[in-house]
Amino acid sequence: MSTTLQPYLKAVRQTLTAAICVENFSSQVVERHNKPEVEVRTSKELLLTPVTISRNDKEKVLIEGSINSLRISIAIKQADEIEKILCHKFMRFMMMRAENFIILRRKPVEGYDISFLVTNFHTEQMFKHKLVDFIIHFMEEIDKEISEMKLAVNSRARISAEEFLKRF
Amino acid sequence: MSKNTRNTAFRKVDVDQYGEEVYEEDQTADEGATGPSDAEVQSMLAKGRNGDALQYVLTNAPLTSKNQGVKDKAAQTVLKVLMSLKANEIEGSLKGLDQAKQDTLMKYIYRGFENPSEGSSAQLLVWHDKLFAVTGVGSIVRVLTDRKRV
Repeated sequence: MSTTLQPYLKAVRQTLTAAICVENFSSQVVERHNKPEVEVRTSKELLLTPVTISRNDKEKVLIEGSINSLRISIAIKQADEIEKILCHKFMRFMMMRAENFIILRRKPVEGYDISFLVTNFHTEQMFKHKLVDFIIHFMEEIDKEISEMKLAVNSRARISAEEFLKRF
Repeated sequence: MSKNTRNTAFRKVDVDQYGEEVYEEDQTADEGATGPSDAEVQSMLAKGRNGDALQYVLTNAPLTSKNQGVKDKAAQTVLKVLMSLKANEIEGSLKGLDQAKQDTLMKYIYRGFENPSEGSSAQLLVWHDKLFAVTGVGSIVRVLTDRKRV
């Protein structure tokens, strides 16, 4: 199963490199406004075909592009109840601090665990290849962190149960 | 006053649709594009002519059709062909494709990712990798921007 990780990340990286070509485009509907078209979705001609890359039926990435913005949604592998809770809490922690993350979206897209929104303003200030590197790195680290947290939860539970039951 | 001044239905009219610059999707649909015939593909796969099967399904891809059922059926056929080719045969079959067919193949690879089944994603990732080595980022950009969805 882990043999699909590298090809999966490679495919995501290649697709992101293609989709992250965004440029400034003011709103056609409201004058003097500049909105990320992938979020507003009023003009069909500005939206690109949304593309999914999946590693299996539980892990996938949805990439929706448009002329001035890109939305990346990630579905993270959650094998059991405890991973589900950990993942949910971890994502919630990050999404509450979305402003400091800059490219993070406060709510994940329906069906996914976390979403990023990259606009032309972000690509003007930051390197595109570094943004792509960041997202790939994020995808790699998330699985590791959740496994670590799960181990920590289990060992803590075991130790505290032992201590408690010593009294009996 | 006359009764018709009470009619406020005019407020519900979407005036934006009557603007001159409203973008309309290309209406010309080719109803004749029925996609590859399943029987043909089955016979080719049975004979082991996997490369030919790939060429056939890509040539007859229903890109201009508006019928979603036709497109779904074609996508399933293509997925079957992609699964049948073994890893070492993939590179050989990619050699015979021109740019249009490579773009269509890339579209089908992404379409296949949307409905993952047993082991299909792993095989599709191999296809994606090999096709990318041949075509580069350009084919992904064409998949994203082409209005003719697969």
